[in-house]
Amino acid sequence: MPLTRRQLLGAAGAASAPLALSACGGFSTSGGDSGSSSDSKTITFTTWGTDSELKGFRDAIASFEKANEGVTVKLNSVPYEQMFTTIDAQLQAGNPPDVFRVPYYTFGSYAGRGQLLDLSTHLPDGFSDRFTPQAWAAVQNGQKPFGVPHHTDTSVILYNTEMLDKAGIRDIPKTIEDAWTWEEFEAMAVELRGSMPKKTWPFAYNWQGNGVTRWLSWLFEADGRFLSEDLKSAAIDSDAGRKAVEFTQGFFRKNLVPPNSSVKSSTYAQDIWYSQTCAIDWAGAFIIPDATDTLDFDWNVTFPPKDVRCAGDFGGNALVATKAAKDPELVAKFFDHVTQEEQMRAFCAGASLLPTRKDLVESGIDFDVRPELSPVFVAQAGAVLPQDSGQVASPSMSNIITVLKDQLEEAFIGGRSVEDTVKGLQDGIGAAVAQ
Amino acid sequence: MTTTATEPRDRAGDTGPAEPPQRLRTRRPGAVREALAGYGFLAPSALLLGVFVFVPLAGALALSLQRTNGFGEGTWIGFDNYARLFGDPVFWRASLNTVLFTLVVTPGSMALGLGAAVLLNSVLPARGLFRSILILPMAVSGVATALIGVLVFDQNSGFADSMLGALGLPQVDWQSNGTAAFVSVVLVTLWWRTGFNMLIYLAGLQGISRELIEAATLDGATVWQRYRYVIVPMLGPSTFFLVIMNVIYSFQVFDIVFVLTGGGPRNATTVLVTYAYDNGFVVRDQGYAATIGVVLLVVSLAFTWLRWRTSRTRDLVG
Repeated sequence: MPLTRRQLLGAAGAASAPLALSACGGFSTSGGDSGSSSDSKTITFTTWGTDSELKGFRDAIASFEKANEGVTVKLNSVPYEQMFTTIDAQLQAGNPPDVFRVPYYTFGSYAGRGQLLDLSTHLPDGFSDRFTPQAWAAVQNGQKPFGVPHHTDTSVILYNTEMLDKAGIRDIPKTIEDAWTWEEFEAMAVELRGSMPKKTWPFAYNWQGNGVTRWLSWLFEADGRFLSEDLKSAAIDSDAGRKAVEFTQGFFRKNLVPPNSSVKSSTYAQDIWYSQTCAIDWAGAFIIPDATDTLDFDWNVTFPPKDVRCAGDFGGNALVATKAAKDPELVAKFFDHVTQEEQMRAFCAGASLLPTRKDLVESGIDFDVRPELSPVFVAQAGAVLPQDSGQVASPSMSNIITVLKDQLEEAFIGGRSVEDTVKGLQDGIGAAVAQ
Repeated sequence: MTTTATEPRDRAGDTGPAEPPQRLRTRRPGAVREALAGYGFLAPSALLLGVFVFVPLAGALALSLQRTNGFGEGTWIGFDNYARLFGDPVFWRASLNTVLFTLVVTPGSMALGLGAAVLLNSVLPARGLFRSILILPMAVSGVATALIGVLVFDQNSGFADSMLGALGLPQVDWQSNGTAAFVSVVLVTLWWRTGFNMLIYLAGLQGISRELIEAATLDGATVWQRYRYVIVPMLGPSTFFLVIMNVIYSFQVFDIVFVLTGGGPRNATTVLVTYAYDNGFVVRDQGYAATIGVVLLVVSLAFTWLRWRTSRTRDLVG
């Protein structure tokens, strides 16, 4: 049947209407369950995760739902790359999830900007007693808890057994007390350098990208701080600060690490170690399942070096509730449940992560994969002090991360002097906390 | 474009400035309905363009006048963000890198594209296959292209240094040397963009009349003269289009830099969009990031206008 022009225009208009309407209807971010639900007995929970982490969360949710009849927790898993652009967009649009997962170094950005629920009055009495002091310090803002420390992770040394063996390095520390001093570690690395071919290196450090916060472990080992005790001014202009910059700058100057492993490199230390381009890598326990599956060489772990004291990065993630959470009491109940001993043990063992509960740190846990490695990680996590983890919870951490990246890159690749670097760090961190 | 510019006058029956009132009285019957139909067809695109381009642009402009921390309402600070840009050395470094990248990639990808198009427009055996091979990178996303680049330019175990080593040439620090890192970004971009340039030039070449070339040959023009004085001028519309597209692309380059070098080492490959991204999504200083975006828009518009005004061949487009 031939169409008249009017019929054609009518049909075209009808066909284009949905398009036009869809343009007016906004767009959804990933996942359909991410926004707040109208049902007050429902908690919406957004997270990213590996398969084993997501399994851990699903098991914990199932157990919570079983213990609380009529309650539903809607889990919305998103890729890590989209996690915080999604959360930020939802917070700005006023439809955030009730609960989300957040790294400790990002926690302060939300807590310090009034986006999270103050849990002080919602958590049961004595709730904080179950956690290690360093874990509890990592979720504080203005002396109030704005989250719960769900798990942690910390970096230790992973080494290629054969490469160290070939270089005659067999005296590997077995306990944290026996950890190499900075000088002993450097001497070992120099010895390793001498025995390795040109295009391989003794070690690579995992400070690329946002991992630049792991550089702070060197500062803490030298017993330094980057923020004052009230977290309101910079405190890195110190002997400890200069010592940490000078020592780590020496890694590049002495050709102990690949030149492309600086803080702004797009090549990660893990990949360099996987490809056997270096003998030693720093990594958290999360790497164990993947390394066990992937690597075709023998590897083991030991403790990172110490200086004035042992220290480490307080990695891992907290669970936080948004200020708009519909039922704060129910959310607090959920947090209480997922941080019970049984839940935390199962989650950490399955996902190769470390507990934040005192009792589990004391009794230790066994990872499902390579359980013999867990004591090293658990002991190293104990070397993190509350004063260290508390600084990383600063609301200005995202700005401080940028300062660390810019200044350390200049020191490592640009050869900027220690004095100038420390001054740049002091000024940059000072400006970041003043904003 | 020259014909469309005169069309309304002809259709309205306008015979000259002496009789302007005639225009309404002599309107062709049905012209109003036809115009309405035209607007009707235009409406969906105009609506989409408005919602997804003009409204966000206005939003970005407003945001650039505010101090923000990523959440809640910003504080109006007038032109402080713009003043801050002028004293920001990383912004100037990123601007310099962006301009340099544009100056290298635009003529580079166009020259390579033209060369490939000329070759593939001739009686080359299996030219269909070669055309497909050259166009293939267009089908690959920028991120995937950059990941291939990472494998090639990894300075510890990459293909590029292995090749240089096998040829007995000195190996290059593609990731820790600023100049080399910049070159690696340019090379990956050229690989990615040449196919698109070739495609446009190939279409342009096939639109040139064979008689014109033949006439030039009969007039005694050498091969070089035929290209210089006949073919290249006849490709003016394609060149105009490609210059605009390549410059806009180069100003907006993000994915290749973000994945391949992350802007390093020492900001040697930081470009305006990666710097805006860092400010907007890492530091959450979205007001300042929007300011960088607005500057980028103004520069792109200024360039397009300049090119539009100075191009002698643009009117042949379409």
